[in-house]
Amino acid sequence: MQGDQDQDDQPPLLGSWPRLYLAALLSALLVMALIAAFSAERW
Amino acid sequence: MSALDWGVLGVYLVAILAVGVWAGRGNRRIDDFFLAGREMRWWAVGLSVMATQISAITFVGTTGQAYTDGLRFVTTYYGLPIAMVVLCLTFVPFFYRARVFTAYEYLERRFDGRARTLTSLLFLLSRGLSVGVTLYAPSLVMSVVLGWSEPATILLMGLSTVAYVLYGGNRSVIWTDVVQMGIIWFGILVCLGVAVFQLPEHFGLRDGLALAQAAGRLNSTDLSLDPTRPYTLWTGLIGGTFLALAYFGTDQSQVQRYLAGASLKQSRLALLFNAFLKVPMQFLILLTGVLVFVFYHFHPAPLLWNQVELKRLEQRADPQRLAGILDRYDGAQASREAAARLFALQRSQGRAPELEPLRRAQATLDGARAEAVAEVERLSGKSYNDTNYIFPSYILAHLPRGLAGLVIAVIFAAAMSTLSGEFNSLATATMIDFYRRFVRADGGEAHDLLMSRVFTAAWGGFACLVALQAGRLGSAIEVVNKFGSYFYGPILGIFLLATLTRASSDGAFWGLLSGFVTVLGLAFGTQVQWLWWIPAGAFTVVGVGLLITTLTARAEGSPAP
Repeated sequence: MQGDQDQDDQPPLLGSWPRLYLAALLSALLVMALIAAFSAERW
Repeated sequence: MSALDWGVLGVYLVAILAVGVWAGRGNRRIDDFFLAGREMRWWAVGLSVMATQISAITFVGTTGQAYTDGLRFVTTYYGLPIAMVVLCLTFVPFFYRARVFTAYEYLERRFDGRARTLTSLLFLLSRGLSVGVTLYAPSLVMSVVLGWSEPATILLMGLSTVAYVLYGGNRSVIWTDVVQMGIIWFGILVCLGVAVFQLPEHFGLRDGLALAQAAGRLNSTDLSLDPTRPYTLWTGLIGGTFLALAYFGTDQSQVQRYLAGASLKQSRLALLFNAFLKVPMQFLILLTGVLVFVFYHFHPAPLLWNQVELKRLEQRADPQRLAGILDRYDGAQASREAAARLFALQRSQGRAPELEPLRRAQATLDGARAEAVAEVERLSGKSYNDTNYIFPSYILAHLPRGLAGLVIAVIFAAAMSTLSGEFNSLATATMIDFYRRFVRADGGEAHDLLMSRVFTAAWGGFACLVALQAGRLGSAIEVVNKFGSYFYGPILGIFLLATLTRASSDGAFWGLLSGFVTVLGLAFGTQVQWLWWIPAGAFTVVGVGLLITTLTARAEGSPAP
């Protein structure tokens, strides 16, 4: 039962929660950088 | 609106009621009614979380904000992904494993009944009053642009939402939110596509963006450290993180969405889904507003966006003075269009475009509008702001037939998805935190389900009543709207104390009161932007809570937290 619970707690992507959290934060950072680059671009 | 537009709006309303009724059939227990049987998948919960957050006024106000001020508002959302990760690590596992219905219920288990009663009461007061504004604000805009009476718009939005929430509870809320979020995303992409498509011939998207940039509408990153300035990068990253922590972590209208997840994993994934999508979505909404600003360089924009106020001004203002303002305004519009065409021509010839004629025309235009606004305010004795009217006016005047109806349906969807979550959560807090504790704990499933529906109807009715009276409340409506922001920081602080420390219930109680005092001091004694009140309030609660816990532990000779 405990094993099932652990299995259920694994995220479907990237293998572990810390990796998924890091991916979420890095993606947010990337989006912020893209928005800043979009604003700064000489259109 | 054309018959086709009305048809699209009608199909949307019928479809959403049908989805609400279909999804909500078979509720037997209050677990079903309030938490959708705790069986929802992450993507449905995630879309519901997003739909609950994006109200109609967020949608029309954000595009209007971009039209007048550019992209800077996007920074308000920069803290959201950080908050989602923090919540996945902290509050969500505690709430989920405690099997609670409300976030405040958890506080009783951790501290005592006082903390639960006080925080739940504050939620009911702030959310209960603001739900009326959530209904009134878009109804007012819709009534002006569609020419309907305010009560008709309020009752159509309010009662249709109450109908499906009353019948199906949280399952109906979540599944209608999924559909509504799909419509909102589709609407955003359609608006963006149409705004690009409607640029004049020989004027490409790059020209449009360059024009917006020249007018300062592409500025997104303000690095100022001044705490009285809104929308700086730091306000967004720090204040925005705390705002999102408070809203998604302690506001029952959001907590209840992810408590419906089928497992802790599903609830966490729902929040992370939001972390990935929210900032890009807000950026696209703002970009649409920027492109509408570019569009009006080549099409006449009304002097005032609120047509009712414009007509009133025409009737009551000194005709000579108004004619002078209109002359200057129309002349500046013509100059601005000529300057924009010259700007594009010079760019196409590979020359550096002249910005001065554009800026001069824009300054004259802004000056003439400011005079008109001052005249409206002088005649009415009230402040005037028509930012929320810009986007709906553009939709109805310039979108092709059918698409206008679709985007009006998007505004309805945004309003109804927020209202549904709020009605459902207000009923839950009333039922679980008050009725079952203080009135009748052993009513049985059928009785509890009936009372849950009674409370849903009561909060829906209350929201309609507040909205119907809101026009007469004047500046009191702003107080109501701001009411929740005084409590976000302190309530977040008490949840941080509960989940991250071993603070005592006395520490939590006195910390909470100190947090309120700090926020009220900042709100009424300084010019500090409201986003900073949240971290200030939260840190005060945690600091005072831990201090009192330590002092009382020493006095009693027990170990400190």
